[in-house]
Amino acid sequence: MTHLTVEQLLACREAGQEPGVAAARAHLDACSLCLAEATRLDQRAARLRALPSLRPARDNWTVVRDRLTAQHRRRLVRRAAVAGLALAAGITLVVVLRVQAGAPRHEVAISEAMTRSSQLEQLIQSYNPDQRVTDGRTVQVAGQLEDRIAVLDRELEMAQLLDVPRDRDDRLLRLWRQRVGLLDALVDVHLTRARAVGF
Amino acid sequence: MAQSLVLTDADVLLARARTGDLEALEQVYRAYESPVYNLARRICRTVEDAEDVLQETFFEVCRSVHQYRGEGSLWGWIRSIAASKALMRLRRNKYRDTDELDEEFHRPANRQDGGGLRMDLEAALERLPETSRAVVWLHDVEGYTHEEIAGMMGKTVSFSKSQLARAHQRLRRWLGEELVAR
Repeated sequence: MTHLTVEQLLACREAGQEPGVAAARAHLDACSLCLAEATRLDQRAARLRALPSLRPARDNWTVVRDRLTAQHRRRLVRRAAVAGLALAAGITLVVVLRVQAGAPRHEVAISEAMTRSSQLEQLIQSYNPDQRVTDGRTVQVAGQLEDRIAVLDRELEMAQLLDVPRDRDDRLLRLWRQRVGLLDALVDVHLTRARAVGF
Repeated sequence: MAQSLVLTDADVLLARARTGDLEALEQVYRAYESPVYNLARRICRTVEDAEDVLQETFFEVCRSVHQYRGEGSLWGWIRSIAASKALMRLRRNKYRDTDELDEEFHRPANRQDGGGLRMDLEAALERLPETSRAVVWLHDVEGYTHEEIAGMMGKTVSFSKSQLARAHQRLRRWLGEELVAR
């Protein structure tokens, strides 16, 4: 007597009617050995389901949360950067027009700082930090820098509203230079990480 | 098996989670951390891989919870992400998963003189080749059909069925459950 193979026994457990399964089921009903094997198979599956649930040895939520926070922060900075670029473009236009009309040297310096700022932002975007493998330390430092840039962007918007042109230009120049400094540092952080992981 | 999210108002929690509320997302994580890790650990070879899968799964869950529309259980949705991540991890690691090599590797250590094999079920499961173990766990424990497993693995239904049969043949042998020469 030919007994059922494991494949056939497993097929008998499945719902549906594949070719040959009806014959296998008929054999199963008549063969005590195959029935015992099918029972063992079911018991083995039941024992697998009854295995103790394994738990992680450490709390992984903090890692997930930090990644989410970093991603959220990057999104905010990107939005602020877009707004900043639009703002910079507007200011540049005004400055250029005033420079052409013989405006003071201060405004040329602001224009240069804005151009440099824009270049650095494009450089950071070209690294595409969201898609990179990043260690916790890099995330932390980059996050701090991005937070400070976001604060600066708000200050830049406020500085635009100053009434006295000289005060406004002094403040704008100082803020734009700070922004360039922070972006420089951010580029360094990403470059260091990129070199460390080899890409 | 997963516990249901035991909350007085799971809908409210999910609504908060969809807005990115970290506290609500953490509650979802706490509710499903254990079953997700268990699934990942049963499929992946190492604790580190299982923890990576756990993190990847919940990062994905948190990012796309707004896409979950309540069709099917929340656990079913999270589990499908976890299974997919775990299988992706297997493919990425490309463990040496040749059946013949595996058979050779395990036979001397597990076979006892006198023909009988006695091995703990957990140890036997651990020693199955990666793919067989993933199939047996997804099918027999998590309840996925061969069609679903084949879809997740990018293989055929026949492949899934034959992997399951091989896994059971090995488990039967290693656990000393062979009744007759078949």
